[in-house]
Amino acid sequence: MADAPVFQSPITNPTPAKGSLTLTDESELTKVSVRGAHIAVSFGTCEQRGDVLVVGSRPDEWTLLGPADAVAAVVSGLDLSGFASTTDITHSRLMIRLTGDDAARAMEKACGIDLSDAMTPNGAAVGASVAKVTCDVVRDDVVSDGREAVRSYRFLADRSFGQYFWDALRDCTAEF
Amino acid sequence: MSFVSIRLPSAGSEVIDRARPVTFSWNGKKLKAFTGDTIASAILANGDHIFGRSMKYHRPRGVLTADFWDPNLFVQVDDEPNVRAAHRLVENGMKVTSQNVWPSLKYDVKAANGLVGRFLTAGFYYKTFMKPAKLWPAYERILARFAPGGEVDLDTPHGYYDKRYAHPDVVVAGAGPAGLAAAIAAARAGASVMLVEHEHQVGGHLLWGSDDDRAAAAGMLTDARNLGVEILTNSTVTGRYEDNWLGILQRNHHIAEERLIKARAKMLIVAGGLIERPYVFAGNDIPGVMTSGAVRRLITMYGIKPGTRAVVLTANESGDAAVADLERAGVEIAEVVDGRTGAFVRSAEGSGRGTNHRLSAVTLSDGTKIDADLLVTAVGWTAPTSLLNMSGDRPVYDPAAARFFPGKTPDNVLATGGMVGDGTHDQLVAHGAATGTLAAGRAAVVQHRLQAATARAAAVDGPEPDYPEDLRTPLGRDPHPALFRSTTHGMVDYSEDVSSKDLFGAAAEGFDSVELIKRFTTATMGPSQGKLETVNTVAVLAEARGETIAEVGTTVWRPPYAPITLGALGGRVFEPVRVSSIQSYHESKGATPILAGQWIRPEHYDDPQAEVTNTRTNVGITDVTPLGKLDLKGPDVPKLLSLLYTNKWMQLPIGGVRYGIMCAEDGVVLDDGVTARLGDEHYLMTTTSSGAGGVWNWIENWLQTEHPDWQVHVTPVTTGFTSINVAGPNSRKLMGRVVAGVDLSNEAFPYMNVRTGTVAGVDDCVMWRIGFTGELSYEIQVPAGYGLHVWEALLADGKDLGIAPFGLEAQRVMRLEKGHFIVGQDTDGLSKAPTTGMTGLLKLDKDDWTGMPEVKWALEGDYPHIVAIQPTDPNCVPEEACQILRGPESNEIVGRITSSRYSPTLNRSICLGQLSPEFAEAGTELTVLLVNGERVTAKVMKHHAHFDPEGERLRG
Repeated sequence: MADAPVFQSPITNPTPAKGSLTLTDESELTKVSVRGAHIAVSFGTCEQRGDVLVVGSRPDEWTLLGPADAVAAVVSGLDLSGFASTTDITHSRLMIRLTGDDAARAMEKACGIDLSDAMTPNGAAVGASVAKVTCDVVRDDVVSDGREAVRSYRFLADRSFGQYFWDALRDCTAEF
Repeated sequence: MSFVSIRLPSAGSEVIDRARPVTFSWNGKKLKAFTGDTIASAILANGDHIFGRSMKYHRPRGVLTADFWDPNLFVQVDDEPNVRAAHRLVENGMKVTSQNVWPSLKYDVKAANGLVGRFLTAGFYYKTFMKPAKLWPAYERILARFAPGGEVDLDTPHGYYDKRYAHPDVVVAGAGPAGLAAAIAAARAGASVMLVEHEHQVGGHLLWGSDDDRAAAAGMLTDARNLGVEILTNSTVTGRYEDNWLGILQRNHHIAEERLIKARAKMLIVAGGLIERPYVFAGNDIPGVMTSGAVRRLITMYGIKPGTRAVVLTANESGDAAVADLERAGVEIAEVVDGRTGAFVRSAEGSGRGTNHRLSAVTLSDGTKIDADLLVTAVGWTAPTSLLNMSGDRPVYDPAAARFFPGKTPDNVLATGGMVGDGTHDQLVAHGAATGTLAAGRAAVVQHRLQAATARAAAVDGPEPDYPEDLRTPLGRDPHPALFRSTTHGMVDYSEDVSSKDLFGAAAEGFDSVELIKRFTTATMGPSQGKLETVNTVAVLAEARGETIAEVGTTVWRPPYAPITLGALGGRVFEPVRVSSIQSYHESKGATPILAGQWIRPEHYDDPQAEVTNTRTNVGITDVTPLGKLDLKGPDVPKLLSLLYTNKWMQLPIGGVRYGIMCAEDGVVLDDGVTARLGDEHYLMTTTSSGAGGVWNWIENWLQTEHPDWQVHVTPVTTGFTSINVAGPNSRKLMGRVVAGVDLSNEAFPYMNVRTGTVAGVDDCVMWRIGFTGELSYEIQVPAGYGLHVWEALLADGKDLGIAPFGLEAQRVMRLEKGHFIVGQDTDGLSKAPTTGMTGLLKLDKDDWTGMPEVKWALEGDYPHIVAIQPTDPNCVPEEACQILRGPESNEIVGRITSSRYSPTLNRSICLGQLSPEFAEAGTELTVLLVNGERVTAKVMKHHAHFDPEGERLRG
């Protein structure tokens, strides 16, 4: 009988980012698509609720991001009354996080979205083409006590683009 | 008259750093220069003044404008052709050579063209080489040798070209005094500003002005930096498109050869200044004839003495200032010709051969002939309104000022500086500042509207600001004499060797429109892009036709403002590729990859025919992850399926699987696939690999626009599951070893059923009893993070069962043996559903389905049929797309081969094809025209399936 299954990330060669930016493979985290539920997080924004980041990805559609192997916990407490559904998309989507003061400038090399604080503030969520890959981009700055927040973006894209997408983002970090 | 430029004593105005010498080579000679020198100033400082030969007549050419637009200074730098010597900075080790000469700059054989110049008039090529057409290849070979430009080294590695997106509030094109002031004012008003300057330094004409001018430029540069203005030097706004979508070429980025910035600016300020026009007279392209700006730049910025004895034709302040600069540089002023008094230069003469050729005398309008090695002209200006033209503006000629001015621009494009009027430094700065403030105000309104309308954006701060009206005080317009052409003919377009005589000739031939004459003579079509030539072209045409310049109008300046390299345009290209979770296995086994859309798939591991045989004999597994998968949830999914598929879906039981054909509204086959019912209101649809995205869009379109009342949620999960097809007589046995909790017997889990369960310890797998290969087979869909684990488990547990992986090619052979058609290969953009032969699935008794009326209509008439075909010669495999003809002697096409392979199972060739109905009967003999022209016979088969037509294997 085979060994116990171990989650395999779509990023098989996560070579570290260049320069001052960091890339993190978060593909193993739980991701759940929720449709039609009653969630008070607006489209285009995100909100941290305990361990779960609730992202208003599209009108009447949310993506919930939580710890690995925690689908049940992530969806617990959702008001799914009426016509609502949840779909585990953990294995469908890769998730990569780009962090660093120059993260927006690095993204400018691959993404046509206006990333200014006014148009895409911390807590914003936007569907975008990044390096020609359709993905959801969530701005989720790293905030630590007593220090200035560090710019950070999470990218959710189709799993099959894994290594290509990592390499493309890494290439964007080269000049910083 | 021989002349050698010399380097002047160091001055505070220069941009070169004499403490940092540079060594480079020019046509094989090793020369020294300084950091900050352009290639042109560096060569001049070393005593050479001929840089190349003209395009058509191979006339020796020297400095004319000494800036980016100089048409005479194109050189080859290492392996890069067509480098602008008056713009590119010299670097250590640079190998610079002249181009468009043979065998050398000094002795250019092609200069013989000049002897027959009177025959090489505009239109010479069109008229001479049109006939006889059969000789064109010979003409082409010879003419190619006369093609201008440098040499491209095909072995040159592709450099790194970068791209970037930007969203500044305000982009300012041009960093002269007005542009700088505009940028500063806009930034002070709170706008994010990108300031783009064509040259290497900001300041524009202040750089070759007085010390006070340079101090002003330096002060404004400091202010701009302190205000956070992003300053891009050696960069060009190359184009303005809808809604201020701007192309900006940055030539000096530290990580890239060049960077193309795509900027969406809320406001564009065009502050391109003025470009000095050359004067048209006989001999105006002789080396030693320069514009006033050229000599001022050479003296002030690069410390170059441009001549020893000069005649200056001046009609404005720039010419007057050039006189002062020349005197300061120790150049003898032989004569100042004041164009404001009606005087002008009639002609110029040169002397000396080869690289010693140089201006020697100037004849004035009163006939006086003066010895001189330098003739400086200051006869007027061209407003480079290209970016305004691209915004829809048409410039208007003002005869009093003898130049064009902008007309009306859209609200989000403003112009300032010399192109809109004249004034003192303070007046230009004030106008620029007012423009910057206005732009910032308008940008704030645009920003407010954008922010308010964008869900993700930060909340807007207060009500929308008032939209600022344009209340700027206009700049004045200084009177200027109209000096375009002398009483003699000379060059109008230096890049293309087009003279005023050519333009007169073209006008006489009837080319009365400036747009036509441009294309006929190629005037304004060279690398200067008309910046130096357009107004002179218009003026000469007006003169030739006896019209005013306003009546002739201008050509339309289109993007790019300045030429862009193909490297920058092509540049850094993102080409996404997709792989399954099993890709590392495929690579480790040396599988031959095939690109299918964006997917990299294993075509075969070794011999695809052997892979077929093994699968038919033992058990094989293949990676079919790209197969499209859509998760459907909701009570109205059956309605949706009934609408999209031609067959019935309302009664599909849980655990059941059904095949369906999907049509577009015109009845053409759009996609096909199987859909399983996993739960009460939960379905999993599969699509073709290439159709996954399109079908998802198709479904969303129907749900969102036609049936928003239906309760269906669709989630694409194509790569959420790694799809593995386990096929072959031993597949059930193998599945039994890895599957837990599912009864795999034929009775409990028959063909066209689905189960969910655990495979190799992985929960939530979906198992389908379907058979694209025609074998007893299971398609397992595994949560992708565990795909490789299950794949390896299958291989390990199936060793004694003869397991081997098979690739896409083997799968294609087996599906063809089974007679399964592929949408897009065996069907095409005209194939309606009846063509598939699956008329039993076309349920005309349903209320409706997409394409039903068209399909019903098709069924009433003739339509092509997909049929199985076998060539008479079992070893003959007709190429796909081979034509099928009406008969052995006929050339009438009655069908085509759509798929063909050699079947190792049947030991013969097998095909699918589309045929006219009259030929589709089983047993009909066909004539197939092979690619090599041979005609072979083939026969229509009874069933689509060449192998196991009754389906005993897949149902077993």
